[in-house]
Amino acid sequence: MSRGVPLLWALALLGCDSAGMASPTVEAPEGGPAFDMVIHQPASLGGIRSGLVDHQGRPVTVGCMTCHSLREDHDLPADAHDLESVHGHMTFVHGALACSACHDPDRADRLRLADGTRLELADALRLCGQCHGTQLRDWENGSHGGMRGFWDRRRGPATRNHCVDCHDPHDPAFPSFTPMPPPRDRFLPLVAAGGNDG
Amino acid sequence: MTTESRGTPGHHVTFARFLWRAAGNATDGSWLFYAWMFGLTAVALVGLNAWARQMAGGMAVTGMSDHVSWGLYVANFTFLVGLAAGGVMMVIPAYLYRDREMHEVVIIGELLAVAAIVMALLFVNVDIGRLDRMWHLAPGLGQLNWPMSMLTWDILVLSTYLLLSLYISGYLIYMRFLGREPNPRHYVPFVLVSIVWAISIHTVTAFLYCGIGGRTFWNSALMAPRFLASAFVAGPAFVVLSLQVVRRLELFDVPEAAIETLLKIMRVTVVVNLFLLFCELFTHFYTGGHHSEAVSYLFFGAHGHSELVPWIWTAVALNTAAAAVLLGRPLADNRVLLNAALVATFVGIWIEKGMGLIIPGFVPSTLAEIVPYTPSLPEWKITAGIWAFGLMIFTVAVKLALHSMSGELRLAELAPKPDADTKEAA
Amino acid sequence: MAEQGTTRRRALKALGVTLGAGAFAGAISPIATFTEGLTLDEVLQKHYRELSADELARVIARLEAETRARYGAEVTIADDRPTEGVQLAYALNLSVCIGCRRCAEACFVENNHDRRTHNAYPRVFEMEQGTMDMAEADVTYRHAVPAEGHFYMPVQCQQCANPPCVKACPTRATWQEPDGIVVIDYNWCIGCRYCQAACPYHGRRFNWQRPELAADEVNPDQGYLSNRIRPQGVVEKCTFCLHRVRRGRHPACLEACPTGARVFGNVLDERSEIRWVLEQKRIFVLKEELGTHPRFFYYFDQ
Repeated sequence: MSRGVPLLWALALLGCDSAGMASPTVEAPEGGPAFDMVIHQPASLGGIRSGLVDHQGRPVTVGCMTCHSLREDHDLPADAHDLESVHGHMTFVHGALACSACHDPDRADRLRLADGTRLELADALRLCGQCHGTQLRDWENGSHGGMRGFWDRRRGPATRNHCVDCHDPHDPAFPSFTPMPPPRDRFLPLVAAGGNDG
Repeated sequence: MTTESRGTPGHHVTFARFLWRAAGNATDGSWLFYAWMFGLTAVALVGLNAWARQMAGGMAVTGMSDHVSWGLYVANFTFLVGLAAGGVMMVIPAYLYRDREMHEVVIIGELLAVAAIVMALLFVNVDIGRLDRMWHLAPGLGQLNWPMSMLTWDILVLSTYLLLSLYISGYLIYMRFLGREPNPRHYVPFVLVSIVWAISIHTVTAFLYCGIGGRTFWNSALMAPRFLASAFVAGPAFVVLSLQVVRRLELFDVPEAAIETLLKIMRVTVVVNLFLLFCELFTHFYTGGHHSEAVSYLFFGAHGHSELVPWIWTAVALNTAAAAVLLGRPLADNRVLLNAALVATFVGIWIEKGMGLIIPGFVPSTLAEIVPYTPSLPEWKITAGIWAFGLMIFTVAVKLALHSMSGELRLAELAPKPDADTKEAA
Repeated sequence: MAEQGTTRRRALKALGVTLGAGAFAGAISPIATFTEGLTLDEVLQKHYRELSADELARVIARLEAETRARYGAEVTIADDRPTEGVQLAYALNLSVCIGCRRCAEACFVENNHDRRTHNAYPRVFEMEQGTMDMAEADVTYRHAVPAEGHFYMPVQCQQCANPPCVKACPTRATWQEPDGIVVIDYNWCIGCRYCQAACPYHGRRFNWQRPELAADEVNPDQGYLSNRIRPQGVVEKCTFCLHRVRRGRHPACLEACPTGARVFGNVLDERSEIRWVLEQKRIFVLKEELGTHPRFFYYFDQ
């Protein structure tokens, strides 16, 4: 039911012209979307943060194969804490998952799905979506994760965030934010805690 | 009786002379008159200055905000529209019921309407953010959003009512000035129209508010009836007080029967006014919930805010006390007590239909926020200034009317010629 | 004697009138501050819909020059027209909004608001979990968000399809455009604020003073009907960033949202995100019982 109603309403309003005041329209650009929906590739995909910054202040990530091509891999550890000495700055709060739930034990720069299919790091979205299907579906349809650019992709591209842009895969809970300051209205008393009490 | 055949100059000459003599009359009087007028002028100038500064600095000088975007100005406007409608209360007995005594003083009601409408229009104008753009309201020239916008209806009916009242009172005074009996065909139809029109100005003003669905305090069918009921208390109250002043200053021998008729009307309307308020309160409080938030704030305060509570309870107390005095015979016979009651109910209705009606429509806001409103000093100055100016208009007009009716103000050719000896003595 | 008395009286009256006129002039003198900023062109300017292309170009040139003179900023004021076949709508995911107010901040920067009052069109309410009662909401919170037991609801102009503000305006200074945006001609509005009284969503704001911005704070990319610097004494409101959306871009509030709670687009495009949300999610509108038919929809994920 929710499907048809907003549509009918919107269509009924085509040509709605309040008191003859509305502006004449211009023609729409021809054809379907000419521009892409770009998915942002965050820097942290494809390496770990070293905790250092470069001369321009950007965080330095170290590619997985930098170390893993030089040494033989041990089995994946039972606990993420065991990796802290080499994989510093990594917290792990992602349920009761083992490392092997997501990581390919044979190659450090690959992931694996539940059925064993190997996945390149760039396709990590599919891995997230394996358990978080509803969020992935919402994300694909623009209802999760934010975007920048053009809503009308006949006229320009849009860029969408990657899951990892906001959710650290090892500690995905969305971080707490300090909000921007409250509105500075005349005579609206600013209070510290809840309610509209003055 | 007529002087036409004797070669009196045409109206373009006599009317000009009338205006000149009227100007003279407006600036002549006793020391009391001068003191009164000077005092009012001073207050009016203070108000004018405050308004000029408001135009320059923006309406931030007022206490209004995006939450309470109408305040003291619109409150006064609302009350004064009622006062103007209430003036017609004299017209109904005088013309529809052929009350002879009332007929003699009905001009006071018409002149009250003129002064009140001028004040109401001034209050609207000082509340306009861009007064330089008022021509946008002119039909044809601008874009008058009629019939959709209730404000446009209000502008139209108020302007017409002003013209009607000016014409009726002007015609009567001018005819007396010319020493002629006013021709009923030239004014009675307009008077009958003005009765209907007086009802319409207040109904339309009420519709400004009661059509707004987003503000539950206003969105009530009782709005227009309540407006009318309180207009028919405040109007007669002011007129009765004015008639007593007129009598005391010996400007006219006001028949007691006229005052008594107005008091009789008030005895009914003051009860109706209280009853309709009670009906409104019951509906809000019994239903409760979202519906009652504004009324709760008004009468009892909410969320730590109780700015309007003293105002509204004062209004209720004043109106109830006035009702008691008006209805209680022994009390009403005491003139001092009666006059106190009339002042009390006038003030009570000013509060109730002014601050007690406009502000609760905005508190809580449409998003349930409570932002209090206190009028600022510039707002009070402008308000006082407009009231002073209105009282000046009323004073000058009543003096002019009564002097024309008594024969003191007459066209020179018709004025009784002073004797040779009295001329010397003067 | 009578003659002398009359002459003296007349002389006194003349003196009184002169003094009165002087007092009047003195009292009203502060208004010069208001009138000196006015040009005849501005006072006589016609309604936006009545301006020919040439006249509008001249108006815009005048406004750009005034901005340069008053604010020291070079700006471009465009007249973006609505596109055919576009009905704009906005949706907001209440499960995802964290109440960070970055949408409000982005609006403040994008739309050239007065810096003193720090106005912004979205107002973010911290709501109690389990109720939609706005009386339990708080707009003044400062603590870290999202807070336990709360959800967040930004409210801005709903661009109603049946707008009470458009009905109320006595001069037709506000009207609904074909693509759904309710706009205001800031040079036609008389500042009566009846629309502000009529709006059920606190969507409209009034310029109680002349807006103040530093030259380097001015967003130079402006639209006549949207984010140009508004004059004192007129009403303004969210225009869905008309100067952006009519060129196909997202509104500033949407781009600033870090969680992607905001969805915007053309409802008539079957493949648009907004269409998907309206069809797939359980959407609702505020104060539906008032019959305003907002174009701003809210939904929860679960």
